[in-house]
Amino acid sequence: MSANLTGFRHTRGFDLVKPLSIGTMIAIMLPLILLPLASIFIFGTSNGLASFWAALRAPEAIFALKLSIVTSFWATVFNVLFGLFAAYVLSKYNFWGRNAAIVIISLPTAIPTAVAGFALLLLWGPYGTLSRIFGQENVPPLMFTAWAIILANVFVTFPLAFGVIKPVFDTMSHSLEEASATMGATRWQTFWHVTLPSLRGAIVGGALLTFARAVGEFGSTILVSGNLASRTQTAPLYIFAKFNEGQVEAANAIAIVLALFSFAIFSILFFARDWLETD
Amino acid sequence: MYNPSDIHVTPMDFGKAAVTVLSVSKSFGDATVLQNINFSVDEDEIVVLLGASGSGKTTILRIIAGLEMPDSGMVILHGKNVTSLPARMRGTGVIFQSYALFPKMTVEENIAYGLRIRRRKRKDIKEAVNGLIELVHLEEHRKKYPSKLSGGQQQRVAIARALAYEPEVLLFDEPFGALDAQIRTRLRREIRTLLKQIKVPSIFITHDQEEALELGDRIAVLNKGRLEQIGTPYEVYNQPMTEHVATFLGSANILEGTIRERRFVVDKVSLSIDDNIVFKEDVPVKMVFRPEDVFLRRPENLIQKYQKLADGIVEEVSFVGAFERVTVKVDLPGKDSIIVIRPKTETSAFPLRPGMVVPIGLVRFRILGEPKRVSGKAA
Repeated sequence: MSANLTGFRHTRGFDLVKPLSIGTMIAIMLPLILLPLASIFIFGTSNGLASFWAALRAPEAIFALKLSIVTSFWATVFNVLFGLFAAYVLSKYNFWGRNAAIVIISLPTAIPTAVAGFALLLLWGPYGTLSRIFGQENVPPLMFTAWAIILANVFVTFPLAFGVIKPVFDTMSHSLEEASATMGATRWQTFWHVTLPSLRGAIVGGALLTFARAVGEFGSTILVSGNLASRTQTAPLYIFAKFNEGQVEAANAIAIVLALFSFAIFSILFFARDWLETD
Repeated sequence: MYNPSDIHVTPMDFGKAAVTVLSVSKSFGDATVLQNINFSVDEDEIVVLLGASGSGKTTILRIIAGLEMPDSGMVILHGKNVTSLPARMRGTGVIFQSYALFPKMTVEENIAYGLRIRRRKRKDIKEAVNGLIELVHLEEHRKKYPSKLSGGQQQRVAIARALAYEPEVLLFDEPFGALDAQIRTRLRREIRTLLKQIKVPSIFITHDQEEALELGDRIAVLNKGRLEQIGTPYEVYNQPMTEHVATFLGSANILEGTIRERRFVVDKVSLSIDDNIVFKEDVPVKMVFRPEDVFLRRPENLIQKYQKLADGIVEEVSFVGAFERVTVKVDLPGKDSIIVIRPKTETSAFPLRPGMVVPIGLVRFRILGEPKRVSGKAA
């Protein structure tokens, strides 16, 4: 009897478990992720697209977006180059302290961003460690400038590109490089023609990840930038400032832009995965 | 590392050898991997380095290619001492075990790589690549990426890629290891034919004795970092110098005894040695004979020369396809049974059953003893 029953349920019966579990999953995601995101768009466009457009065209808003993009760009360039270099060194050579180096590179993942910003202030700031050692006048005044934002972005996104590139390096067959060498190639030629093409997907992926993370950075930038409108205010800081001033629409317009931007990057990472991996 | 003055330092003449490995030794930490390895490969010749894993054969290949530095000794390619040259300046063509084709390059691009590195003219590269693609029959696959090719096709790309820049020598690192048995047999025949056609000196490494016998013009047998014997497949199979060589290439029966008056003697056995080598007398030696060099019938029925070893009792007869394997019980010191292989003609003419008493006759055997020093040069 019971065998018959289970057989029935598994083959021809309407299986309730499937729609029920999918429904539960969506029901949990809805209030936590989907509705908040939807609200940005609902609220931002509730007064018509014209007001959304006007909020976006405010000079301070444009400046904030540009500053975010420029600082994130340079942080990305640095971190991808460094991540590539570090991954190369760490997978090619075995040396004392190798594991320590890997841990240190990966450390920023675990450090709260506010702590990262605070740490930068304590190093570079007017009363920080460097000033004490070299004298305040000899330390470049990086804090509360765009440089500080780049430094903060570099710090918090440090492990991202490395983390994507390193595993690809590790699994890459060593004999490819040896084959290239026996065929007459110098180390540099081997790196350029053989190693780098195999890393293309990882480099693009790592760069997108780093950039996306840097554009949204808030905790560390609010500490090191000074949050000066049209001078050191990035897009996330602009949202925060405008919301505090009660200009919810202005904040909302930038929030929409940042959200769309994240969707775009995520789509590239998700849908172009095949392209990034092969040929 | 590269010092141009190294190139002409050797005053020795290495004749017409394409590759000479001269007293090469190598250890990794405490482990000695190679001990005083000496051999050479002639132009147009295929030499197979045969040995079990850990015998050091891969290390020899890597030392010739310049991927590993020997602790002592020299590598000479076409008369040029390349010992201190880096891999990229040696011009060897290595066919790696997994082929190591560049995954992001097409078949054409892989083959062109060595020429592109050498900054040849675009037109010349195209011509050379076309010729090579034709040579290895990959016309339909020229635009494909390596991941889309079969194992055999990948191997042909690897060979074409190495041939493109006219290598001093081709070095094959267990090239058939990744393929299944049937393809393996076909491919090694194809490759041997190809190598004989293009006449490039080649070194193969393998642990497969059948492969070594079929591929090599000469076989170098390695054991624990030492080169035990080098010779034609016929020589290493039929005239092994050591027990390892005898047992590694096919199965062998081994007897212990002594030499007395140019005869191998043990217990009641006394066999006259039909060999040019004069062995030291009255010291323990080993005598080896192949299972197929044994006849289990009376000498009067045989045309070949035959020496009786002893009488034995048939213990087990098993059919193994093309031939029959017989285990014969014997009563000899240190030996209670021997293995015999009989071809079909024998099995049908003289069927054997367990329990039968048979005479054991040897057509050929080999003494693994220390030769008496004759010309002042030990073999």
